[in-house]
Amino acid sequence: MRSPSGPEREDAMLETLQRHAATFRGYTELRWQANQGGSIAMRKGTVLANARSYSAGVSARRWRDGVFGFASRPGDDAAALARVLADAHDHVARHGRKAAAPIGRALPSTAPGTGRYDYRTTRPTVSRAERLDLVRRVDAHIAARYPGLTNFDVALVTGAVEKALVTSEGAATYSYMPRANLMVSLSLQANDSLVELYDIAGGFGDYEDQFGAVEPVLAMVDAIYDQLRRKAEGAYCEAGLHDVILDPVVTGILAHEAIGHTCEADAVMTGSVAGDHLGEPVAAEKVTLIDGAGRGIDGQAATAIHVDDEGTPCRDVAIIERGVLKEFLHSKETALRLGLEPTGNARANAFSDEPLVRMRNTAIAPGEDSVEDMIAAIDRGYYLKRATNGQADSTSEFTFGIACGYEIRNGKLGRAIRDTTISGVAFDMLKTVTHVGRELKWAAGGMCGKKQWIPVGIGGPAIKCQITVGGK
Amino acid sequence: MTGAGALAAALAAADGPAVCAEVVAAARARGADHAQAIHGTGERFEIEFENRGVTQLRTGVDEGVSLIVFRDGRRGSASTNGRDPDAVAAALDEALAAAATGVADPANDVAAAPSQGFAAFGPDAADRDTMLDAVAACLAELATRYPKIRTRNSAYVFGTTESAFANSRGVVQHERRAAYNFGLAFIGKDGTATTSFNAAGAGSFTPFDVLLDAGCVRRLLDETLRSFDPRPIPEKFVGDIVVTPECLSGLIGGTLAGALSGPALMAGRTPYKERHGTAIAAPCLSVLNRPRAADFPGGASFDPYGVPTADLDVVKDGVLENFLVDFYYARKLGRAQTVGATNFVVPGGDRSIDDIVATTARGILLCRLSGGMPNADLEFSGVAKNSFLIEDGRIRGPLVETMIAANLQDVLKNIRALSRETVNFGNCRFPYLAASGVTISSKG
Repeated sequence: MRSPSGPEREDAMLETLQRHAATFRGYTELRWQANQGGSIAMRKGTVLANARSYSAGVSARRWRDGVFGFASRPGDDAAALARVLADAHDHVARHGRKAAAPIGRALPSTAPGTGRYDYRTTRPTVSRAERLDLVRRVDAHIAARYPGLTNFDVALVTGAVEKALVTSEGAATYSYMPRANLMVSLSLQANDSLVELYDIAGGFGDYEDQFGAVEPVLAMVDAIYDQLRRKAEGAYCEAGLHDVILDPVVTGILAHEAIGHTCEADAVMTGSVAGDHLGEPVAAEKVTLIDGAGRGIDGQAATAIHVDDEGTPCRDVAIIERGVLKEFLHSKETALRLGLEPTGNARANAFSDEPLVRMRNTAIAPGEDSVEDMIAAIDRGYYLKRATNGQADSTSEFTFGIACGYEIRNGKLGRAIRDTTISGVAFDMLKTVTHVGRELKWAAGGMCGKKQWIPVGIGGPAIKCQITVGGK
Repeated sequence: MTGAGALAAALAAADGPAVCAEVVAAARARGADHAQAIHGTGERFEIEFENRGVTQLRTGVDEGVSLIVFRDGRRGSASTNGRDPDAVAAALDEALAAAATGVADPANDVAAAPSQGFAAFGPDAADRDTMLDAVAACLAELATRYPKIRTRNSAYVFGTTESAFANSRGVVQHERRAAYNFGLAFIGKDGTATTSFNAAGAGSFTPFDVLLDAGCVRRLLDETLRSFDPRPIPEKFVGDIVVTPECLSGLIGGTLAGALSGPALMAGRTPYKERHGTAIAAPCLSVLNRPRAADFPGGASFDPYGVPTADLDVVKDGVLENFLVDFYYARKLGRAQTVGATNFVVPGGDRSIDDIVATTARGILLCRLSGGMPNADLEFSGVAKNSFLIEDGRIRGPLVETMIAANLQDVLKNIRALSRETVNFGNCRFPYLAASGVTISSKG
């Protein structure tokens, strides 16, 4: 638990890494990274967690003869840096030649990524006691106002990822990316079963940037309870293919899971269906899907990345442009093997992780339609408001759990619905999109697990489409 | 040497038991009523590969301390890594500060338990050249025998972990584990035909002679080659599911274990709260917890509270014998502690999988379930992935866009057979399970 590092430490860490750059032999990345986190969790007045974590260290990655050598260690002193550089070199020198499938070309060069991207708060630090007090006030509010609940959980999760990176290509960059979320989950006994609902407040930034007052969180609690009460009296969906409206964050999960993952170039190289459709129409013309650099296409996403962990400056990638599959997400290696340019999508979650092809801030671009028009256009269908989890496949077949939504009958919202599952094949389903909403919204959280768990931006506008809905 | 100097020396020497003892002593000296500390070190060597060859050789070293302090019934915890004594001191400051601002809970405490002495499991070191040779042989076999299989993010790993524990009641534990783990992720590709993603793996104390023979890897490869041109089921029906061992691990180790856990009991989020001692499954099903099994490198000899692990019969002949309640939840719920680590074994039955399929009139071989979270009543629905239609006692074609909907409570009651074949994944072991009465539907 070191204190936030500040400009002096940023400079010192970059200078330390750069001193070792003189020892680089061939293509090399040298990274220092610290992940810090805090969690306070309460269940019905009991504190289940009140914890802080700090994990920091250095890693080096070398490339030679078509294979990477990667080594990581805790600490940040000269000995640790020298050791990871030596180990990474040893891996490719001693074992790489025996194992690798040689490729005669070097990794593609890009402009070296530079700059400091420090998003730490400038507000006065809020103490741990005050943070716990926020959680206790929310817990007490629920207990007092909604005594009939079977269970309720309140969890505050804060974290920041701090990195310094230098590469043999001249990249030298520093970043500090914070996120703070407060999750509230409520459980209510209905006539036939327990029903549950949750929501998440907060987003990009430190705690101080997100939770200046408790009132917005209490308003979120009241909204969850109202939806939960309606859900308890709600109906099970009719199984089958239906006209539906996906709320923005559900659209975002769809964009991430069902399209984004199939368009990661390492997946394409393995054979995902996206590779068979490049340049072809895969969606309605209204659909443009972008994996955004920085903080996404509107600068408001819940994560930020300006230079990736290979030192490549990040740029927006239009995966689908006006319905046509245009481009994939690349690291240096996938760009080399497919003869394209890196896009700045190589990301690592911890000092001990190597960069992988990952999404950043993925969203369907907003359109010109209103949600009211979407509802009016549906005779019999559903408005799907909130997803619990999602999974997709190399075939673009996807499945999501839906925890909150409403029937649409004759162009009007009806009863709430119980939990259900939606599924489909994304490259078919996107062709059924008839409306794309005007308002882009981002999930407050957003994590992606592809070997490593990493923060991502997930968002979009509401869309109207056809999707398979599960029944009871 | 005492105090900060002793802690620094212990950290420098990566002497886990000494680090834990010093941290606990420092916490007590700073006013903690009780404290516990865990020091862990880990090293791994990893060969990552895809069809074209090895893509990365990787080593990782890490070590760190996690500690919990209790003061006036309040709890605070923190963790840090590395050997910097100032960082450990800062972590202790954080934990004490958290305990000072928390909420008192009578369930907060450190455990009293017998200390076991040092135990080591697995080999001292790996022969990296032998591991590379095994990967080379695996790649050669994939190229010749499985040319339509494309792999990604696959790895052969040797890892060691050493964990030490101490608390303020004098409990001291120390173990070292080393194991080989192999994981293969893949799809089938034939022209533009693409199968669903699949993955398999296993762990072992000894090197895998043939990597593709690990766990159920080879069976899944063979099934993937039969998965081109999948079809939806022609019509909705209620039939059987024959759940593969890898899919069953999620239903038993995830969904059922979650419903029997301390957190679920506390939240009232379980249909089994009043079912102790009653039949919750067909008599053929037993679910056993075996964290000390000799063939589980992923096991544990003590839990996060320093309590030695023990065998536990969770479900015996269909009857719920024990909930899964750890040290904290035992105190919170007023129950006896039953568990600290979970490594489940479902013993096999007396029929072969071929016989089970042969007696299935209509259903599906459920190899992976991709779906939403089960609700509190354990109702679940999802898409049957990498799965096959069974009709008239024979496995027919591969399925796509096929959904199943069921309640795990009903599935367990409606088990009609368990296979004698089981798969050891290195941290759990499961057979095939056949159950009736599941709704199977498709788009439309």
